[in-house]
Amino acid sequence: MNADEIDAEIRIMAGQRRLPPAHLERWLALDEASRGALLALARKLGLRTGQLVSALELLEEIALRERITVAEVLGRDEIRAVADAPGSGPARASAFIEALRQIRLPRLKKMQERLRAEIAALKLPNRISVVLPKALCSDELRISLQVRSRDELGKLVAALNRSSAGLTRIIEMLGGGSPGDDAKDEI
Amino acid sequence: MLKMKFDLDAVFIERGCADSALAARIIRSIPASVPVHHVADAREAAKPAHDARDPFGAGKRRMIIARRKTPFLMACPAGSSKFACCGYLVLTLASNCPMDCSYCFLQEYLADNPAFQLYANFADSFEELDRLIQSAPGRSFRVGTGELADSLAFDSITGISRELVEFFAARENLTLELKTKTDEIGNLIGLDPRGRVLVSWTLSSDAVYRSSENRTASPAARIAAARAVLEAGYRVAFHFDPLIAYPGAERDYVRLIDELLDNVPAKKISFISMGGLRMTPGLRSIARRRFSADPMLCGEDVLASDGRFRTFTPLRLKLYRTLAERFRKAGAEIPAYLCMEPASIHERVFGETPPRPARIGERLASTGNQASSR
Repeated sequence: MNADEIDAEIRIMAGQRRLPPAHLERWLALDEASRGALLALARKLGLRTGQLVSALELLEEIALRERITVAEVLGRDEIRAVADAPGSGPARASAFIEALRQIRLPRLKKMQERLRAEIAALKLPNRISVVLPKALCSDELRISLQVRSRDELGKLVAALNRSSAGLTRIIEMLGGGSPGDDAKDEI
Repeated sequence: MLKMKFDLDAVFIERGCADSALAARIIRSIPASVPVHHVADAREAAKPAHDARDPFGAGKRRMIIARRKTPFLMACPAGSSKFACCGYLVLTLASNCPMDCSYCFLQEYLADNPAFQLYANFADSFEELDRLIQSAPGRSFRVGTGELADSLAFDSITGISRELVEFFAARENLTLELKTKTDEIGNLIGLDPRGRVLVSWTLSSDAVYRSSENRTASPAARIAAARAVLEAGYRVAFHFDPLIAYPGAERDYVRLIDELLDNVPAKKISFISMGGLRMTPGLRSIARRRFSADPMLCGEDVLASDGRFRTFTPLRLKLYRTLAERFRKAGAEIPAYLCMEPASIHERVFGETPPRPARIGERLASTGNQASSR
């Protein structure tokens, strides 16, 4: 397809998806290779309107942060792996958006993984839940207990007490402290 | 004729202000090529020019000289019961700024009135200040002119800083803070501030300066200017705000502090403040539209409980803690505070509950270096 044909196809898809005009403009403002690459992927994964909007926003931000083109982002191994993976279109479309978020917010994702690993390592009873703030938007850890008896309460509190050091480490990590070995981590 | 460092498309003088000392100084100082319009009501000229490609940017090139009809003195608009505030009082002698930082909150705050406004009756603010100190004998206040405008950006043509310094130098319980990103200090040299005038600079890493701080002086030039005013008898302070947590930021900001401390002894720094980049959704949208090529606006930010996008908390706090630690290592007890952060974050960074705003304000206003907000 030449550039005009790509643009015509993009307009058709935008019309079918009722993509808001501002987002269509953003798509058409990309370089030719990027416009075409996104069109191909949107077709392959059957991206819905909301997913297209998210993808456009995330791709633009990644391209700006890393000073590369959208086509180069879409050509990355982790994106290709998602696009070519077996499974349903909707599942792959969701995985595609998640992969873009991972690239867009790499340190957030890494920190969330570390914190979740720390929580898992506590091996707390399943009636204790330790919940991280959404998107680590605060430094507050929510710990809740589900109990039906005094005896059960005693056991859960004892379990929490045994995990005090680990919980303290998680709270410290949420406050910008370093988790032991990673003390030299650079921002 | 004084040299004007920023371009103007036009000057509008409101009826009743043409004979003011401020208007006379400005007319004398601007290039003859800048048209001067006399208008009955300057409000129309202050509005955004919607036919311009960048109405806010165009507003910055129109200067208005008018009377301020509302009080000059107010509490800092960034203050909120959610935050541990610094007790800063704002003296609004101008509105908007000829520099153009991509992250600036004025893009949203002044979206409906983007013209650069100067108030011909600025001397009326002195009466408000005298009433303030009379109303609270024994209390000290830190008053700044750098909230809705840069304190010194147009000082070469307005000369307002000289009158401010003379006024504050004569009042024991007032400290003036001139906050700037310029190196426009010519009018300050040769005056005697008597310890009652602070000149403060917002300091950013070179990467942020190059990417986001359009038409400002370079960080090195700001530090050199700080050294010069320190030698001229002024107190100095530094705002690391906004801190932007781009990859490599920690290393760059530590280098910046090293450069600062090589030029300004730690014990001579009256205080420092820090604040992470924060943007309402509206500001973020405006900033990204106006500065679509600035990667600093695409950080790892998430929507926080105060409705602003901020760098996710552990990363933001790590940057605060690193900078605070670097200053601690400098060996001087430099008072420090965080801007627009809750008390809990303050405690995480400094290990102490912050004092109430009025107390911090008084401490920062104090002339001795023994003062500490920590």
